[in-house]
Amino acid sequence: MPHVMISSKKCTGCHMCELACSAQHENAYRPSVARLFSEVNPTTGAIKGHTCLQTACAKCQEACPEDAIVTKEITVRVKGDYPGKEKHGEAVKGYVLVVDEEKCTNCGECYDVCPTGVIHEHPDREVAYKCDLCGGEPQCIAFCQNPHVLAVDLKVDKMDRELQA
Amino acid sequence: MDFYTGKVLRIDLSAGATAVEPLDMDWARLYLGGKGLLFRYLWDEVAPGLDPASPANPLMLVTGPFAGTNVTTASRLVVGCKSPTTGTILDSYVGGSFAPEMKFAGYDIIILTGVAPEPTVVWISDDVVEFRSATPYLGMKTSEVEEALRNDLDGDAKVLSIGPAGESRIPWACLSTDQYHKAGRGGAGALMGMKNVKAVAIRGTGSVPVGDAKAFLDAMYALHHDYILTDTNLWAHEEGTPMLVDVINGGGALPTRNYSSGTFEGADKINSESFQKIRVKKRACYQCAIGCRNFHATKWAGAEVRGEGPEFETIALCGSNCGIDDIDALMKFNELCDELGMDTISSGSVVGLAMDLCEKGYADFGLAFGDSKGYLQAVELMAKREGYGAELALGAKALAAKYGHPELAMQVKNMEVPGYDPRGAFGMALSYATSDRGACHMRSFPVGQEIVEGSMPADTFEGKAEWIVNAEAGGQNFFALKFSGIWCDFWAIDLEQIAMLMKHLWGREFSRDELMQMGERIWNLGRLFNLREGLTIADDALPERMHDQRFAEGAAAGKVIDRAAFAAALQEYYAIRGWDAAGVPSEAKLSELGVDVRLSTASRRTKGE
Repeated sequence: MPHVMISSKKCTGCHMCELACSAQHENAYRPSVARLFSEVNPTTGAIKGHTCLQTACAKCQEACPEDAIVTKEITVRVKGDYPGKEKHGEAVKGYVLVVDEEKCTNCGECYDVCPTGVIHEHPDREVAYKCDLCGGEPQCIAFCQNPHVLAVDLKVDKMDRELQA
Repeated sequence: MDFYTGKVLRIDLSAGATAVEPLDMDWARLYLGGKGLLFRYLWDEVAPGLDPASPANPLMLVTGPFAGTNVTTASRLVVGCKSPTTGTILDSYVGGSFAPEMKFAGYDIIILTGVAPEPTVVWISDDVVEFRSATPYLGMKTSEVEEALRNDLDGDAKVLSIGPAGESRIPWACLSTDQYHKAGRGGAGALMGMKNVKAVAIRGTGSVPVGDAKAFLDAMYALHHDYILTDTNLWAHEEGTPMLVDVINGGGALPTRNYSSGTFEGADKINSESFQKIRVKKRACYQCAIGCRNFHATKWAGAEVRGEGPEFETIALCGSNCGIDDIDALMKFNELCDELGMDTISSGSVVGLAMDLCEKGYADFGLAFGDSKGYLQAVELMAKREGYGAELALGAKALAAKYGHPELAMQVKNMEVPGYDPRGAFGMALSYATSDRGACHMRSFPVGQEIVEGSMPADTFEGKAEWIVNAEAGGQNFFALKFSGIWCDFWAIDLEQIAMLMKHLWGREFSRDELMQMGERIWNLGRLFNLREGLTIADDALPERMHDQRFAEGAAAGKVIDRAAFAAALQEYYAIRGWDAAGVPSEAKLSELGVDVRLSTASRRTKGE
């Protein structure tokens, strides 16, 4: 953590977060390789957000035989509003899990253990890809700016809070 | 080229063959995308005088250049053909996620021609196109076929389908996607039924390049922050179109009991406040930060009823126009139309007419205004052409004529009139009469000024022709441009914002005049198509009752559309357009606009010449 969460209650299912995520990471709009997604049932309206919980989960890191999932310090500055902003302030320090593409062998161990289904093999390169909080300016939150919605939130856990202090 | 995929997918259903060809970029420069590009392809590919029921009538699915990006609302799809219902050119719009998926699969346009030899589902997975038997899905409601195809093909597939109404070729059958999103008007669903296609399903995993994506993201963030997510547009999220019920009722223009009144005594039972009580949550189309969709749930006959909507038009036509003030019955009617795959405006108008015929003693369907039980039965019988439903399925014009009272059919060019009675907003008389596809409120929207904002007097034609042609906020030229983008009505985009997006698209500046001219070019192309199909000034007409029958009460009490005043306003409209007295665009006007076709030109252009 910090990590991104999608509120299934608030989410309208517009997928702007996935679009922005893919543009940030792929230099083109390609939501099929977004680092988060909102699963929408069009008929019932049921929505389930899928995001990386970073160090609060770390199952990918534990499973990786190559130590290719690396814990990195990060300072997150969110562009725009989000529910936790008042609590967290402008900048949030914490840790994020990123893929070291030099070490990753695309063995697939992490793909199998991820509980939210947000680490996969990249379709163009034989490595894993996952959420890196856009290096500190998460576009998913920046593109969930309808003041009546604000479904994409930033959460901070204990480990991060220690770092703030 | 960024934004566009540059590809057109052609599907010949008769031969079971497909081909991919380059998008005509000259046409994209002239006509942009959406409505404009659809019209240009239709001009070339609909042979003059073609029977719309002919296998040769193409069903075109066209995206806008900004589909599949962060440009709010630009996810809309336009479907088009020569309308089997109106005989005019048809462009019918639908939100949801189908258009972006087309872009990710690699297509700007999909064109279906011919007739499949057996009931078929067309399954497009990126560059692989399969024809699958639709036999297991026949008779399924729209929610059922969508779910079945997601299960059978791909959980992420987007589905554009017809319901039972499309299978029985009801003239106002819809194309449905994401369950509650409908390309409603003009019978594109009937044409898909004629083509023996139950659904087109698509999955795309490719990308839409936009040049420097990070710079584009920054620009889009600023656009959302500064212009889109503001009070100007957020009314659609906070309330949505049901807010119009009280407003239009107050203006005396709310269709009531088959347009025999402009005010409805039960309006407060089906207004925005009433719907807010059964609202579950807000939902959005793909790539829309506004999120106008009202997801409602209630009960009818002990069972749950739900729907994204109804929107104002449905409330007006299926509520007040049928004398229905029971919100649960209205929700059920809306759900039935959604599930059967029928346009609610036409469904409500036809059922309202059938009630009127019964009450006046001209027909005996056992229907009456306000009788919710008969009303719900009517919609099911109509979709399946069973019992008296087979007669209702003729549509308002033919049904009223059959029973000897054509004046009771509220239609223009065989398209039923939406929820704004022109007697309460004179501009809508001219708007409906001159719309390219018949009575439609989405070609120009003077009632927005006449009643909603109250900034133009409602009971005069003075200034209306000029407004309908040229107004930036809601005139025909601007809407033609806007629906080529394709930006949704609920984003009050202006020319500066369009110019900014066009600069990202084409890499150069666009003046206001150039943009408005593009809209005018597209509008004139639609007119040429309709003239080529034999439409005349006589078709730019209103239902007789608008001229003859005065309302007894409400804000529009005593008003009618005077025939001479209407005729004069129509001529003024033609003159402002640079058309002659018969409504034919002049050579000078077409040259000025850079319209690249002429009425006398042999229509078919051979590709690659």
